Amino acid sequence: MTVEDKLKEKINEIIDDLDLLVGYSASELPLKVNPVFIKNREDVKNLVFNKLCINNLATYIYNLSKKIKGTAGIVLKPCDASSVIQLLSEGLLDREKTRMIVAGCSGVFDYKKIQKHLGGQKIISLELENGNLEVGTINKKNTLKAADFYADKCYWCQIYNKPPLYDDFIENDQEPGIQPADKYADLEIIESKSIEEIMNYWDGQFSRCIRCYACRNVCPLEICQDRCITNLDEPYWQSQRINTQEGKFFQMIRVMHLAGRCTECGECERACPKNIPLAKLMKKSAQIVERLFDYKAGQEIDKKPPFLTFKDVEQNIKEENLS
Amino acid sequence: MNNNENNTLEASNGFSPGGDPGKNGGVKIVAFLCNWCSYAGADAAGTSRLRQPENIRIIRLPCSGRVNPLFIIKAFNQGADGVLVSGCHPNDCHYSEGNFYARRRLEFLKEFLPFIGIDKRRFSYQWVSASEAQKWQNVVINFVKRIEDVHAK
Ligand code: SF4
Ligand code: SF4
Repeated sequence: MTVEDKLKEKINEIIDDLDLLVGYSASELPLKVNPVFIKNREDVKNLVFNKLCINNLATYIYNLSKKIKGTAGIVLKPCDASSVIQLLSEGLLDREKTRMIVAGCSGVFDYKKIQKHLGGQKIISLELENGNLEVGTINKKNTLKAADFYADKCYWCQIYNKPPLYDDFIENDQEPGIQPADKYADLEIIESKSIEEIMNYWDGQFSRCIRCYACRNVCPLEICQDRCITNLDEPYWQSQRINTQEGKFFQMIRVMHLAGRCTECGECERACPKNIPLAKLMKKSAQIVERLFDYKAGQEIDKKPPFLTFKDVEQNIKEENLS
Repeated sequence: MNNNENNTLEASNGFSPGGDPGKNGGVKIVAFLCNWCSYAGADAAGTSRLRQPENIRIIRLPCSGRVNPLFIIKAFNQGADGVLVSGCHPNDCHYSEGNFYARRRLEFLKEFLPFIGIDKRRFSYQWVSASEAQKWQNVVINFVKRIEDVHAK
């Protein structure tokens, strides 16, 4: 029995306890799946769970929890469960009203990588055969090595079959079998540059930002959405102008508001229509938080997020004295 | 330093760029001081006629805990060469714990700055109490010197 079948079986069992269920359903686009909101038993058959389920459905849970009275069920990959855990640890969700249905994961494909590899050609079909991706474009079949096209986070995932928290866990017999990669390799490349080069690198990236706010809106933890300070006139943080500085400042708002909260799901980078490498910023931020405060977001419900607490003596902070 | 035309335009609502640059090569430094300790300390330095470089523009806040790290980024964006935050010593906060929260945020920011291309040395946070006029003078002199070094490079 595939993990998808087991998932449907489980949901059939519990659907009556739920007010609403968020899950994945098939899409007409060959590389994607759609989020779907289900109330009735007859819709359960439309659910899917496979290696295209890259979206983090935790994005919907906060708003949903405000709108429904009863329990919201949510289908999660183990990494997505971290986002829900973080929301719970910040008291933004009610544990009683959130049913986490976590399915074991064998890695998800990053459609952006596949599209890029094929030079943006229209893709009409996709199949996985013996570790190869058979991608059909208009008049050609392309064989790609599946191992190269997983989402970045899959290459260092350690929780694919052991989510930190769940209500229902559906085991996945399929092992990811992905060769692990060094999570911080891309940060090291940037950090080996001179400070001017780094500035220029980001200026180049943010010169493309169109302030569409997709990165903000897709993030499961940015519950502020349209109440974001970037949209305020009073106090006036940012103009509506589209340019490098404003784009960069907007991103610094995100970094500061997500420090110690971001669970590195990579959704912001995936949603960015301009392919700005936002995940690097978030990764750096998480790395600093872990080193300074010994805290990793999305692991434990009972641990206070680092910026909501303090210690009299901070072991890992070396204050400088200029006098 | 990255000073694009937008920065200079927008700088008008902060301080005037280029205006009154001071004697020391004209570096511009913004200092966020807490009302209870550091601002009083800087004031005391003034009253005791301790000479200070003129590059510092002081912004008074109720507490170092009021310092949003984004103030600092915004100051850099608008053309500041250096940003200094100063508050009461840990355990001396007028609101008992504001500076403890500040320390976490500011340390995080300090570690993050180099990753977006801002030299770490351009930012510092210090603890200066109301009675430490002499310390304030030293802090300012040393910080200005450091910013000039970074700037000269
Ligand atoms: S900031 Fe990006 S990577 Fe972090 S939780 Fe939000 S969407 Fe995910
Ligand atoms: S998604 Fe990309 S283009 Fe849109 S605001 Fe975010 S960084 Fe800018």
